[in-house]
Amino acid sequence: MNRARGDGGLTQSGAEQTGRPVRGRWRRRAGGETLKRVWPEAGMLVGLAAAPLIAPHLGITLDMACRMLIWGIFGLGFDILFGYTGLLSFGQSAFFGTGGFVAAWLLVSHAISNSLLALALGVVAAALLGLVIGFVSLRTVGIYFAMITVAFGQMLYFLENSPLSRWTGGENGLPGVPKPEVSLGMLSIAVASGRATYYFVAAFFFAGFWLARRIIQSPFGAVLCAIRDNTARAAALGHAVNGYRLAAFVAAAAYGGLAGGLLGYLQGYMPPDAFSLDTSGRLVIQSVIGGAGTLVGPLLGASIWIYLREVLQEVPGIGNLWKLILGVAFVALVTLFRRGVCGELRALMRREAGAARGPDEQALALSARSVRPRPGHSMLMTPADQATAAVRQAAAVERATAAATSAAPAAGRYEPERGRPPAIEARGLTKRYGGVRAIDNVSLAVAHGELRALIGPNGAGKTTLLRMLAGEVRPSAGNVYLRGERITGMTTTAICHRGLSKTNQINQLFPQLSVYENLVIPVLARKRGRFKLDLLRDVQRVGGLPEDIEPILAAVGLGERARLPVSALSYGDKRRLELGLALATAPQVLLLDEPLAGLSPAERRRAVEMLRGLRQGCTMIIVEHDMDAVFALADSISVLHDGRMLAQGTPDSIQRDPMVQQAYLGGAGGDESA
Amino acid sequence: MAVMISWPLLFSQLFNGLALGALLALTSAGLTIIYGALGVVNFAHGAFFMVGAYAGYLAFAYTDSFVLAMAVGALFAAGVGILLERSLIRFYYARPPEDQILLTFGLAIVLVELVRAVFGSLSRRVAVPAWGAGVVNLGFMIYPRYRLEALSIVALTLSVLGLLLYRTRQGFIVRAGIEDSLMVSMLGINVARIFLLVFALGAMAAGFAGIVDAPIVTVNPDMGQDLLVRAFVVIVIGGVGSFGGAVLGGLIAGEILSLTAMINPAYSDVMLYAAMAAVLILRPQGLMGAEGRR
Amino acid sequence: MSLLEVDRINAYYGDSHILFDVSLRVEARETLALLGRNGAGKSTTLKSIMGVLAPRSGRVLLDGQPIHGLRPFEVARLGVQLVPEDRRIFAGLSVEENLELAALTAPHALDPAQIFTHFPQLGQRRKNRGRDLSGGEQQMLAVARALVRDPKLILLDEPFEGLAPVLVQELVRAIRRLAEQGRTIAIVEQNVTATLSLAQRCYILSNGHVVHEGAARELRKSPEIMGRYLGL
Repeated sequence: MNRARGDGGLTQSGAEQTGRPVRGRWRRRAGGETLKRVWPEAGMLVGLAAAPLIAPHLGITLDMACRMLIWGIFGLGFDILFGYTGLLSFGQSAFFGTGGFVAAWLLVSHAISNSLLALALGVVAAALLGLVIGFVSLRTVGIYFAMITVAFGQMLYFLENSPLSRWTGGENGLPGVPKPEVSLGMLSIAVASGRATYYFVAAFFFAGFWLARRIIQSPFGAVLCAIRDNTARAAALGHAVNGYRLAAFVAAAAYGGLAGGLLGYLQGYMPPDAFSLDTSGRLVIQSVIGGAGTLVGPLLGASIWIYLREVLQEVPGIGNLWKLILGVAFVALVTLFRRGVCGELRALMRREAGAARGPDEQALALSARSVRPRPGHSMLMTPADQATAAVRQAAAVERATAAATSAAPAAGRYEPERGRPPAIEARGLTKRYGGVRAIDNVSLAVAHGELRALIGPNGAGKTTLLRMLAGEVRPSAGNVYLRGERITGMTTTAICHRGLSKTNQINQLFPQLSVYENLVIPVLARKRGRFKLDLLRDVQRVGGLPEDIEPILAAVGLGERARLPVSALSYGDKRRLELGLALATAPQVLLLDEPLAGLSPAERRRAVEMLRGLRQGCTMIIVEHDMDAVFALADSISVLHDGRMLAQGTPDSIQRDPMVQQAYLGGAGGDESA
Repeated sequence: MAVMISWPLLFSQLFNGLALGALLALTSAGLTIIYGALGVVNFAHGAFFMVGAYAGYLAFAYTDSFVLAMAVGALFAAGVGILLERSLIRFYYARPPEDQILLTFGLAIVLVELVRAVFGSLSRRVAVPAWGAGVVNLGFMIYPRYRLEALSIVALTLSVLGLLLYRTRQGFIVRAGIEDSLMVSMLGINVARIFLLVFALGAMAAGFAGIVDAPIVTVNPDMGQDLLVRAFVVIVIGGVGSFGGAVLGGLIAGEILSLTAMINPAYSDVMLYAAMAAVLILRPQGLMGAEGRR
Repeated sequence: MSLLEVDRINAYYGDSHILFDVSLRVEARETLALLGRNGAGKSTTLKSIMGVLAPRSGRVLLDGQPIHGLRPFEVARLGVQLVPEDRRIFAGLSVEENLELAALTAPHALDPAQIFTHFPQLGQRRKNRGRDLSGGEQQMLAVARALVRDPKLILLDEPFEGLAPVLVQELVRAIRRLAEQGRTIAIVEQNVTATLSLAQRCYILSNGHVVHEGAARELRKSPEIMGRYLGL
């Protein structure tokens, strides 16, 4: 296939197929592993403390080490933005420069004498700028985002260069930045010597590293990873993705501002090229070489960059080739080793660890640690029982609103109730694409606890209708009501929080996360709401997470595979996880788009049984081609043909309806002449 | 910094804006047709501009024929484009945009540093060709002859590019391929070859712009970088993937840069980015872009 | 030797197994129907023949020569033409340009004027762009675009989908005329009545397996098979 765009109609390249490496773990660990959890911080602390002793033997001066750390700090923020949130910005120089120049100007102009305060104000300025630039540029993604951040970076460069040159010194930069003084109450220490400067910078790096680690391991960080892997699904599962992306952007800007400020202190001079496009490009290169999504990768990349430059410049003949060598290495890494040095090392270590145990054993060991089968979920239970149990569990979480639902007749067949709005209703929905009416004035109402099947020939508009109900597609006319409330025009996130969830025809999973981590995402939305800046909270300490996830795992039969990355799942497993993600939002209305598509006959039977179990807690609309499944499950059926509602009724009446027969079997108008 | 604005100055700045705008339009057109057909944002496009300028500079130095230099600049950039498309870029058409950006960005660095390794970082002057020396008296103002000629050459090239795209069989295939490459393939046309052609054409446009611009500016390894950023602004303003948008956006950008420079040069680039931000907020798909932003 | 022989192909979308050992053949000058419910694998079979989706195993032979593993443009140049279900008209090109594009690489392309005799309505709208055509006209153009290449084998993927009854009849007549001229046509459809009125032979696919093969005439008379595999 030549390219992805434009081929969708014929090849169905699912989001699940992006074969990116698995990274960004925030797995849940059992109690006695606290030591293991802090070893990266401990190791970093020891390494930073010992570096001045080792560095000279490698030909690294303290000045070089300080530069490596400053770029490492800059990279920590960028890694949160690119490695964890998936936003590739080429304009980070704007924040590096802003932080640097604000801090430097405050000190040089004697507006402020406290260098720590100046640094902090620089960081604040950079973060505020990040808020503004992020607000505008995050209206776009992918290539547009990259281009627009480049442009904003350049804009700041030109601003510094002339309009603001009264303060910034224009092309000359700001000389005379004083050595920082650390004042603690009465005591003040001048950071003058090389070693003192190193520890001064190293302390900031460590603080930044510690904070970044906390962010990555927080619920907030988990949502960032989900956004990176599949933004639309993260939104549909209840997370206000724009807020998260903006927060990540601001965090990256703040890190950039800090790094810029430290650069001015280190050099005693703030250079104008801090704002240049080269600065942004260098950051990208360093992060990719070192390994994005690892936090330490950018530091390693910066070290390689600085080391190569210093060492190669000494070598006669090739002194000016260092950047060419780096460029070639960069292209090689981008084409051959996508994970960068740290990422490849980590993948290698994982593989070793995995190979030593054997894949099956590993999966079992992992799942046994966290997902202990409980008596209620024994192997003897049918999937239907398990599913029922799961929904009961989920419903318990939202007992207040679900009380009426759980009162639905145990037999499963719904009974329409008077005086209560339908669970979900469409009135006069129309969708036009150009001049074509994909959906033409369709109305339907599904009662609480009802399982409605939506059938119709290919191209009848079933998926479009479902997507309009879920808020994924905006109708050209008409309205959608969820339990009496108009939800037309609401975002998928808002609709999710009102109790509607949808599964997709093509799996929309988070491919770099494990099965368990996938399910954490919707549960977090339920527990934390649409947006929360709980940067320092440990995702493992979010109360009730395993209690909510385990029943879902059991319901969709993935308990044994909870620790596996999505990429290691079979298609049928992925299909069940797709359903599990929707279930984990504890929906009161569940829309299923061809849940059986691509499953083998045995898997279909199992899935039908599972769906039958689920229907007790839930109102469902199911689009499906497998008529056996439809007749086995549905309370009622709506038939869509050519964008119009052709018939609605009980399975029996639909089966006998001559219009339906004709829609499926013969061209309306007949062709008996042949 | 208030400047008395005289009519001759205004006209001359309008012309400068037109010349700069045409140049931006040509470069951006290459960038935008590559994106339109292949879905790749080519961060190496500025490097093609630079490579074309250097190749033309060498050819001019050896042959003393600027016409030949223009041909060499364009063809050499096209050759580099073909080499890179065949060896690397074509494997990235189905990859996520971030991967494509990183690859082309890396290739740009390699090209720039290769040129730097051979020619050094110092700027080189390319003399104005003999047929472009001196000034022209247009009646209402006096204007450098080469700039006027460069404007005509670039305008002519843009028209030729437009004709190629809208009036020839190949261009017709390219437009169809931009719409639906798989269907084009099912009609018996080797789309991969068309993609290569598009890439080469885009690179050629950039290289040609590079050598035509060389006598006006100077030639150095970093000359492509600013141009690339401006080309991004142009296609964001004009609408990504639209040939007409690149032309319109280029002219708007050129006039913004040159007219604001008349009032206060310090703000001209800033104004350009402000215009881009305004377009982005008011009309996110760009002035002539139909496709929504993905 | 059959014109086209599909021999035990298995096809996948990603991990999802769609076709299971599907075998079928198309004889020269016949009209063949490929029936089955939604999702049975009919379209996938056509895509596998056309080279859009390479089967992971099995063979596809055209005139006895293997064509599996060829790219779509190579298959097209050998004289196979797929009319895809979503039509894929070039919206920005005119009717004439759509036909012109299709004719470019065909060795014995037909004259558009000849095409317009089959589809007079298209002739009237030759200067209109694809996006300005009605659904029926787009479908006509999709068929015409295949026809202009004068292919050995035309694969029609759900040509009647979304068409008003009167247009279905018009298209049925047009296809019948093509068949009478001796063209080989394979139709994938859910509109069983219209399709069986055209076809001589038919296959039924269900869940990626061929479950029935026979004469179209007989299938029309056996409601139980229609009911089991096609009906409600």
